[in-house]
Amino acid sequence: MSDTLRQVGIDIQESEENRGLVAAIRADNPELTVRHLPGLVKIQAAGQIVINRESVERELGREWETGEFQLAIVSFAGNLSEWDDDRIIVKWEH
Amino acid sequence: MQYELRYQVIEPKRQTYQNVIDRFGDQPASRYLEATLDVEPRENFHYRPTWDQHRELYDADYTVLKLKDPYSYTDPRQFYYTPYVTNRANLHDEFTKQMAYLEERELLAKLPAAWRTVLTTAILPLRHYESGAQMVSVGGARFAYGTSLEQCCTFAAFDRIGNAQMLSRVGIALGAGTGDLLQVAKREWLDSEHLQPLRRFTEEAMVTPDWAEGLVAVDLVDSLIYPVLYRELDEIALTSGAGAYSLFTQYLHTWFKDQRKWLDALIKAWAADGEHGVENREHLSRIVATWNPLAHEAATELARVVDHQLPDAGTVAALARTTAAAEQRWAQVTGGAA
Repeated sequence: MSDTLRQVGIDIQESEENRGLVAAIRADNPELTVRHLPGLVKIQAAGQIVINRESVERELGREWETGEFQLAIVSFAGNLSEWDDDRIIVKWEH
Repeated sequence: MQYELRYQVIEPKRQTYQNVIDRFGDQPASRYLEATLDVEPRENFHYRPTWDQHRELYDADYTVLKLKDPYSYTDPRQFYYTPYVTNRANLHDEFTKQMAYLEERELLAKLPAAWRTVLTTAILPLRHYESGAQMVSVGGARFAYGTSLEQCCTFAAFDRIGNAQMLSRVGIALGAGTGDLLQVAKREWLDSEHLQPLRRFTEEAMVTPDWAEGLVAVDLVDSLIYPVLYRELDEIALTSGAGAYSLFTQYLHTWFKDQRKWLDALIKAWAADGEHGVENREHLSRIVATWNPLAHEAATELARVVDHQLPDAGTVAALARTTAAAEQRWAQVTGGAA
């Protein structure tokens, strides 16, 4: 494929709780750039970003519902192409 | 004139403490890791303990179960002081509310006579069991090598005291605000035949020199007593007019689920360790083979007393089911070493 994948991104508020979330996203998405801004963690990847409930729970050491993602994010670039009890996928859809 | 407001990013010189940087590089880390990794001293001990010339003050050799790197194990709950205390304070607040409700409505006083007997002869004496289990956990807190293991044991020890307190409070409420029933329960613990196997088990676990063996031994009893008395019996309680029993046992059952989280992970870490895995599995099978029959005997005696009072409870049958499940779990952990 010649055309490059568009970047998708998620901005997550920086906090103790969200660090586990970022670590889980990092673990599940190998090609990720993470930038730390004051109070903010900017995550970018080409194509898509996947968030698995199980990985987040493992990082946080407690149960986590995908709905809690709402509390962590500041903004995102891309479409939420999948959002169910186990997984969230952010990517461009068109 | 005009001002332009811009923010400037000041890079911190370091993102976390050196103990974490040494392992994972300079990146933001969780409070749990910062408070846990490599915290226990490893070197430059001046003297060997006078009571044990062959081992250091902190030494991996206090148990036969070893990890190549103790910090390869981390508490899945990520408890360090603050989250632990907050979590347990909430639990006890809830329990206090529940007890206030029970006392206000005199629900414990209204328990059917057979249930009352079950409580005084089988459940309340278990606070002494909890107390013994606390000592075993304290042993782990002192002798485990590595903060990640040791702090789990410390928290477990405090949990045990909490459990004993819960049972004591139930006993006081049941005895109309007096300690009379607790004294009865203590006599039962010391003299009643049905409690002697458990008492003996607890005391032997307490004097086991290997802290991990004691911990696993107590866990063998836990995995029989907790599911049977605090869960299966709880369901019977709901259908036979002893709702009060159900209201307080749920906390103990919730605790047990929490205890399983770190202990199962630890046992798994022992069994799967890259360097010591094979020996660990052998030791674990030996420990289980030694202690399990005794644990089973202790739990059976208790179950018999319950069944004697409540013929429909089927506690002995529940125990058999629980035993089968527990044995399967162990067979999985130890693999072919058994």
